[in-house]
Amino acid sequence: MIRNILFTITGAVLLAAFGAGCGTTGMNPHGVNVTEMRPDERGFVAGTGIESQDLVAVADKMARSILATTQIANAQGKPNIVLEPVVNETRFPINKEIFLTRIRVALNTKAGGKVTFLARDRMDALEKERDLKQTGKVTGGVANAPVEFKGADFILTGKLQSISTRSNNGSSDYVLYTFQLLDPRTSAILWEDFAEIKKQGQSDAVYR
Amino acid sequence: MNKACQLAAVALLAAGCAAPEIKKAPAVSGDLVEEGRKLIAAASEKDKILWRYRVALVAMKAGRFTDARQLLDECLPTIGAILTADERTIKARSLFGNEAQKIYVGEPYEQAMAYFYRGLIYWMDGEPDNARACFKSAQLIDGDAKDKAFASDFALLDYLDGFATAKLLGDGSDMLRRARASAVSSKTNALTALPDYDRQANVLAFFQFGFGPLKHGGGRYGERLQYHVGHSAVHSVRFKIGEQTLHVSALDDLSFQATTRGGRLMDDILADKGSLKKPLEAIATIAPAAGAVLAGPKETRGTALPIIGAGVVAGAVSNAAEAMADTRTWNNLPQHLAFTAFRLPPGSHTAAMEFFDRDGKPLPKLTRSLTFEVRVGRDTVLFISDQ
Repeated sequence: MIRNILFTITGAVLLAAFGAGCGTTGMNPHGVNVTEMRPDERGFVAGTGIESQDLVAVADKMARSILATTQIANAQGKPNIVLEPVVNETRFPINKEIFLTRIRVALNTKAGGKVTFLARDRMDALEKERDLKQTGKVTGGVANAPVEFKGADFILTGKLQSISTRSNNGSSDYVLYTFQLLDPRTSAILWEDFAEIKKQGQSDAVYR
Repeated sequence: MNKACQLAAVALLAAGCAAPEIKKAPAVSGDLVEEGRKLIAAASEKDKILWRYRVALVAMKAGRFTDARQLLDECLPTIGAILTADERTIKARSLFGNEAQKIYVGEPYEQAMAYFYRGLIYWMDGEPDNARACFKSAQLIDGDAKDKAFASDFALLDYLDGFATAKLLGDGSDMLRRARASAVSSKTNALTALPDYDRQANVLAFFQFGFGPLKHGGGRYGERLQYHVGHSAVHSVRFKIGEQTLHVSALDDLSFQATTRGGRLMDDILADKGSLKKPLEAIATIAPAAGAVLAGPKETRGTALPIIGAGVVAGAVSNAAEAMADTRTWNNLPQHLAFTAFRLPPGSHTAAMEFFDRDGKPLPKLTRSLTFEVRVGRDTVLFISDQ
């Protein structure tokens, strides 16, 4: 009788030990090969921050919305647009130009030449080239030529804001993306649209 | 002695007299950042972030902010991600797994410091809004303290968040209030250490003093994550540039931040492992003795072997079980952080710095000067460490 009980105890100790020790049937023990993904796809390396799929979704939505505005759709001629870097008020450091670059490219692709974007971020290089032309150092310029750099009909800019929470139950981030088309002459907001994305997640217990 | 014996004696002597092989020490470049990069390359995958943190701070102290930027940028995506279960975390949680098998990202105060340093570099690069984003993230990471009085209570992070907002023509007053409240609760003179924002201030000086906290395993099996509190001889600095004299006092205390997080969920897991080890150890101690006693009388002899066997198994399991907390530490962090901002005209400037202890006594050995360039169009950010 005693022997049976002892065998049972020994067996239980062994089982408990091996059961605990064998909890290593982990995922991807040999890593994951490089996977090519679409930028609008959510990857397996994910956080609650601003990611490529958000950039693509937001930029495409904004580009469609801008094209539908009467100021663009019914414009006489091709309006000139200047991009101003977005204001980042979130808790995520970002490349501030990437949203507007993505919107510009989407507009240029979809608008079929309805608008012209002015390369204000390249003014240094443009001025240098103009000066070289005007001084006759390179071809194509006339001395004392009038200013040909175009002024903006519209300024496209945006703002990213967020509400973030974190506790033992995980992290949650709500990001509000707002974009505006401004009239630089009157400061009027001619168009505005927004997108919002909320994400939450919780890390494994070993990180909590 | 015959010839064979003589030969054998000579051979033995020759063998004994062979000069020990002298191994050359590995070549060291003297460039701490480059040596650090070698350590990162040699570190296992689970320790790479730890080494990147350490080397990034070495680079910052050497004024090599490009290196520091790159190293921190390699850390932030991981510490900012939701770290879900994988082979390592499952093993770290298991009875026979060690917590230090998980990918190191650091405790919240360490993660917050990674964001803090990255924010400083963003500001240096003329991106105060991205700097603010880093300060916000750092403060949020400190938000899961068990006692909510200690959640998100870095005074400097709130102050810098508000300051960046003020510089970007926003209203940073809420953050200033929060910062002062945190400073008061950590017994710092809030109004002296955290003056009203000066939007025109174009030089930002970040200071750090002393040696930060170090982790160690407390409890019977090292299952409790505990800290050796850091220390700093320096408590304030007098910063003199031309006619301006600024007295900057220590603000945030990283040992305070490390020790006020409260219990982790992982601590419960480690405590469970520890509580399993304890009875197994008892069985391993008692069972052989009981078995020896039972082996004597004929009628109990049959039960002796299983009892001894149970003791051996329990001992083996107990020895194999890992309850030790992860004590990998970002060990070159400072004890105190301090900050000041002021105005200077563009051009080259030299500041004289005198350091003082907690009682206000000067520490002349640390006195030094700093020459820097104030540029037009962006803030000049200075990073000064007493170590």
